[in-house]
Amino acid sequence: MRPQDLITLAIRNLLRRKTRTVLTVLGVVIGTASIVIMMSLGLGMSRSMVELYKSFGSLTTVTVYSYGSEDSTKELTDETIAGFGRIPHVTGTSPVLNVDVQAKCGSAEGYLQLYGVTQDYLKQIELGSGTLPKPDQPELELIFGNMASRMFYKTNASGRFRADDTEEVTIDPVTDTIFYTFPEGSQTGSGSGNAAGSQQGKANAKKYMLQTVGMVKGSAEEYNEFSWGVYCDIDSLKTFLKKIYKKNLVPYPKTNKKGKPLSYYVYNEAYVFVDDMENVSAVQTRINDMGFQANSNMQWLEQSQQTMGMVQAVLGGIGAVSLLVAAIGIVNTMMMSIYERTREIGIMKVLGCDMNDIRNLFLVESGAIGFIGGAVGLALSWAVSFAINRLATGAGQAIIGMPSSDGISYIPMWLAGFAIVFAIAIGTIAGYIPAKRAMSLSPLAAIRNE
Amino acid sequence: MPDEKVPVIMVRDLKKIYKIGVNRVHALDGISFDVYKGEFLAIVGTSGSGKSTCLNMLAGLEHPTSGTISILGKRIDKMNEHELVGFRRKHVGFIFQSYNLIASMNAEENVAMPLVFRGTPKDQRVAAAHKYMKLIGILDQAKHMPGQMSGGQQQRVGIARALVIDPDIIFADEPTGNLDSGTTAEVLALMRKIVTEQHKTLIMVTHDSSIAAAADRQIRIVDGRITEIIEAGRHSDEDK
Ligand SMILES: Nc1ncnc2c1ncn2[C@@H]1O[C@H](COP(=O)(O)OP(=O)(O)O)[C@@H](O)[C@H]1O
Ligand SMILES: [Mg+2]
Repeated sequence: MRPQDLITLAIRNLLRRKTRTVLTVLGVVIGTASIVIMMSLGLGMSRSMVELYKSFGSLTTVTVYSYGSEDSTKELTDETIAGFGRIPHVTGTSPVLNVDVQAKCGSAEGYLQLYGVTQDYLKQIELGSGTLPKPDQPELELIFGNMASRMFYKTNASGRFRADDTEEVTIDPVTDTIFYTFPEGSQTGSGSGNAAGSQQGKANAKKYMLQTVGMVKGSAEEYNEFSWGVYCDIDSLKTFLKKIYKKNLVPYPKTNKKGKPLSYYVYNEAYVFVDDMENVSAVQTRINDMGFQANSNMQWLEQSQQTMGMVQAVLGGIGAVSLLVAAIGIVNTMMMSIYERTREIGIMKVLGCDMNDIRNLFLVESGAIGFIGGAVGLALSWAVSFAINRLATGAGQAIIGMPSSDGISYIPMWLAGFAIVFAIAIGTIAGYIPAKRAMSLSPLAAIRNE
Repeated sequence: MPDEKVPVIMVRDLKKIYKIGVNRVHALDGISFDVYKGEFLAIVGTSGSGKSTCLNMLAGLEHPTSGTISILGKRIDKMNEHELVGFRRKHVGFIFQSYNLIASMNAEENVAMPLVFRGTPKDQRVAAAHKYMKLIGILDQAKHMPGQMSGGQQQRVGIARALVIDPDIIFADEPTGNLDSGTTAEVLALMRKIVTEQHKTLIMVTHDSSIAAAADRQIRIVDGRITEIIEAGRHSDEDK
């Protein structure tokens, strides 16, 4: 039999028993739709989760910490950080040279965190306006976090916070002139760097006017990992700080056993950038093995994803049950159809219809039930998914607090394709036993006279 | 005379035993005969004598218990079901007592159906169906459904369907069994026409001696054995 004749005949047979075909197809529609919708919820949730984690910070970044290590080889120095750069899949590294600064703009003032980072790091910042600071400049150029200007508050003449003033402070760091005061720092050789010590020296500390060359993308309400900080090139910052702190290098230097400040930089934190999300945990493990404490958002995401995977499996399983019921429906329909068509199948065999063609005819019929059910089920899923997203955008954001701008139900193309293929497969598998039975029916049934 | 006869079917010592519980029914108890090319052969006998059993085995619908059947030089009794279906598709037309048309297909589609099984393209199928429906005289009913046709008309569709693959042999089991006498005569005339004009070999099973008399030769079966072979006196030289 030619394939087109086989398909035509199969479709005619299905149309002959319209009601039953429609009911069987309906079973597949419901089965497919429940699998797809359940999975779309799981996928939508995990997509929202990835977005959420992304908003906490890059998923390809590993953060390395080292607070007060006794062992000097476990200190985060330029040397050890360069060592991280040699780990496979690492695309860049950056230590964080962190200074608390006081900023003044007109009658407003605020305390800001100034981060000196490498160009590798700066490249990751999405700018809303302006440019990135150039590397190793004599003058400091700053990138302002999009929320950092909210750190400013109005002060009265005595420099105290005016509690009665509810007026919003609006500062544009790029155009407004801002003066920065750096911490006084610990005295050379005097040991402990006490933050309190800097307080009284502040009044007569020198003010520096620094240029803001760029703004982090986003409004003052849109949070991202760079929102609150002020960033600059680390080498420029080192040069700048040397002018203030001379041999100390930094405001509060670590000291050696003799109480002398170290002649090299020791950082508390460093970032390691990885080429792909896949490789993050491997890199993180390597750094841990080197004796450092390392964290990544990916690590948390992976844990959440494992949980989410289980949720998805459960949701998919619930959907699968209804498709299983649909499959039983197909078997039942095909069996009934065979009993009704026993004589017809016999006639076909007497007239020389190949046994494989008879089997294929039944497989095509049940496969077509699967295909139509799958296609309609998918269309239904899209409609339901659309409705869910419509209803849930407001509620979802309020309850889960997730950035669910793309909706909690998500049907990617692969899921759509999978649904159709799966429905056809279910139909064909369900039709297999009936088809085999039809194939082996005796042609004598056709000869017998009733 | 013997030289011009070419046997298309050779049956030797054919037996069929049905086991029903502990009982054994000898439906066919060792029959042997030849069927010649272009011959109209009737197998005649009372009900339960084994005629249908014989025909079904010739058509490869049932396996013999023992004995051999050769058709066109091929051993039917040794073929498996796949081969038998293929053999029928190539060489055999079949006419049923109860017509056995597919109710959901019109006359033309019913006639063309065996060609679908052969993988013939649609335009060729329709052309062949029309050719044989014209020959049988039912071309005007091409689009009628079986349910809209009389028994005689349905059987004509059945005959056209048997002819459409241009078979070597046509089997017919009680083809007039469901027809009135007038229609029976018409159908018999058609079958005669097939044999003489289309040069087909036709084997017909009937319980009615008067219908069997329309054939060139009759084989009479009683209780699974051949008791008599009657050559019709179409040319005056008959009898012993
Ligand atoms: N499938 C079967 N099972 C058991 N007995 C059968 C079967 N088919 C036929 N018979 C028996 O074989 C004998 C011959 O049957 P059949 O060939 O149908 O007779 P006819 O066609 O001459 O009326 C009968 O006695 C019948 O009961
Ligand atoms: Mg019979």
